[in-house]
Amino acid sequence: MPDLGTTSGGIAPRHTQRTGLGLQALAGLALVALPVGLLVTLILWPTVRMVTATFLIDGNLSSDRYFAFFNDTYTRANLRYTLEMGLVSAVVALAISFGIALYLRFSAGRIATLIHGLSLFPLFVPSIIISYALVRFLGPNGLFQLMLEQVGFTHYRTPYLTPVGPFLAFVWENIPLPVLVLSAGLSQVSDHAVEAARDLGAKAPRILFEILLPQMRRSLLIAFALIFMGIIGAFTVPYMLGPPAPEMMSVFMQRTLGNLHDPESAQVQAVVLMVISSIVGGFYIATMVKSSEAVR
Amino acid sequence: MLQIDSITKTYQGTHAVRDASFRVARGELVCLLGPSGCGKSTLLRIISGLTACDSGTVSIEGVDMTSSPANRRPTAMVFQSHALWSHMNVAQNVGFGLRVRGLPKAEIAAKTAAVLDLVGLSAFAKRLPAELSGGQAQRVALARCLVVEPKVLLMDEPFSALDAHLRKGLREELKALQGRLDLTTIFVTHDQEEAMELADRIVVMQGGQVEQVGPPGALYQNPSTLGVAQFIGAMNTCTSSLRHGAVDWYGVTLRMPLPDGEVALLCRPEDLSIDPNGAAARVARVIDLGPVTKVNLITETGDLLTWTCPRDQAPDLGRVMTLLPRRLHAFRGGALMGLMDVPLPAQAQGATA
Repeated sequence: MPDLGTTSGGIAPRHTQRTGLGLQALAGLALVALPVGLLVTLILWPTVRMVTATFLIDGNLSSDRYFAFFNDTYTRANLRYTLEMGLVSAVVALAISFGIALYLRFSAGRIATLIHGLSLFPLFVPSIIISYALVRFLGPNGLFQLMLEQVGFTHYRTPYLTPVGPFLAFVWENIPLPVLVLSAGLSQVSDHAVEAARDLGAKAPRILFEILLPQMRRSLLIAFALIFMGIIGAFTVPYMLGPPAPEMMSVFMQRTLGNLHDPESAQVQAVVLMVISSIVGGFYIATMVKSSEAVR
Repeated sequence: MLQIDSITKTYQGTHAVRDASFRVARGELVCLLGPSGCGKSTLLRIISGLTACDSGTVSIEGVDMTSSPANRRPTAMVFQSHALWSHMNVAQNVGFGLRVRGLPKAEIAAKTAAVLDLVGLSAFAKRLPAELSGGQAQRVALARCLVVEPKVLLMDEPFSALDAHLRKGLREELKALQGRLDLTTIFVTHDQEEAMELADRIVVMQGGQVEQVGPPGALYQNPSTLGVAQFIGAMNTCTSSLRHGAVDWYGVTLRMPLPDGEVALLCRPEDLSIDPNGAAARVARVIDLGPVTKVNLITETGDLLTWTCPRDQAPDLGRVMTLLPRRLHAFRGGALMGLMDVPLPAQAQGATA
């Protein structure tokens, strides 16, 4: 019969615990080793090499390629177009998403469930399908034109080859993520916080601008950063939709590399885009860290 | 001042509030008291306008406010969770109602400072809600309501999330403040001690209905329903059959001039006294509560009896005592049938006859 009473307490279990912790630490390191290794090998190392290469001309350190980038009118127009498209699409998608999130936060029932489902639907549709659907809907002899002709409007000019085309696709494509982020943020604002404002005489606009929006600032900034970074790096939508010039940086980069066979210039374009993304990404990480600290 | 007439509210066929009516005089502090889910918070929200009622009327100073939205009613509500806005500091939270009313900045600052002084938080004006303790946060919530000078102050279990010591302190502060400002107040609580301590009158609610309205002492002494009797204070409950004016109380036959039938006999622990003709019971537990001692006894019928006595009369564990009620409340079908002082045991009366 085992003598359960003779174990002398602390020593043996403590020893086991120390060994256990060591193994745990090793197991933890082993688990992160693969993703960290892949990150270093496939992303960080090529990035460092590429960035370094853009500053080297015939083995000498030079920033000429960047001067060329910023002195070229067409390249600058492309960068500006990309940033404007990212900014406008992100702001509009965010505004629509905020409206949906607000509705979902303060409503219940079948209609709210339906709207919730519809708002998340684009999450499961690939960009190529969205782009092609927009071409078929808004393009020449598309469904929209046919519908307008049915009611007597015959002067329709398709917007799918103008900036409106990619703008519509980006907005539609980028509604689900901010709806999720903003819904999570709005769930942190208690019903009582809103009711207290109503009780003190505040009407809906004041509640929105003085109570809800300030408390949603972090969620809005996080959602904006995510959408903006996604849009300026997107390829499929601007490849399928939008004007031939100016072009979004991703398409421009691909053309510089594939059609013009100028990998050095494509690398400079990539670095500039990466720096802009990194600034927004850093901003996103700082906001996330602040949120975590606030929670703690 | 405030008149509630036949208020009814249902949620998916279930009555949250049913035909509730009562009046509150100017400067009066009325507590809505009842167990969780009895409809007291719903009734408070109906008074504030945050919840619409199905039928009935809410009138303030003779004006029907039933269809007025919350932001048009002369009421202000303190929530259980204090509901301070985390992005505004204390002064901004307190001044919000004045900003809504479009007052000049200087006046807002002056009134905010005055109210913060009133609740003893002048030094905390620039702090954020996250930097306040629970008690301070609740004082800010109160200041936020007081600054708009409401005709009726509504408080929904404002102290329930605080520890007992702090709760007691805040109760005393509130009572003093309410008296000084002569502010008509409705205070929701499920804590009967809190209600007894604060209220000028208590509205006892059960199952969405107003069971009884009255001053704390009157409710304690003369509960009109079985629900009120069992909810306000402790009671020993004995269910028995009344036959020919006599009823069995834990093995003792008592005379009771009431119609025959099932009856619930309720007796306060402090209304029991030692009597040689009383029901025999063995002391099972003695609890020293400080000023008094609570004694749990097991009767010969196996029922639990609670008796409170002065500390110096506390019995030893295991001792057999004979106890008799000096005051009994008799209920049938939940309604009070009679209140009897010192009902003599049948044998004792027979012996003296």
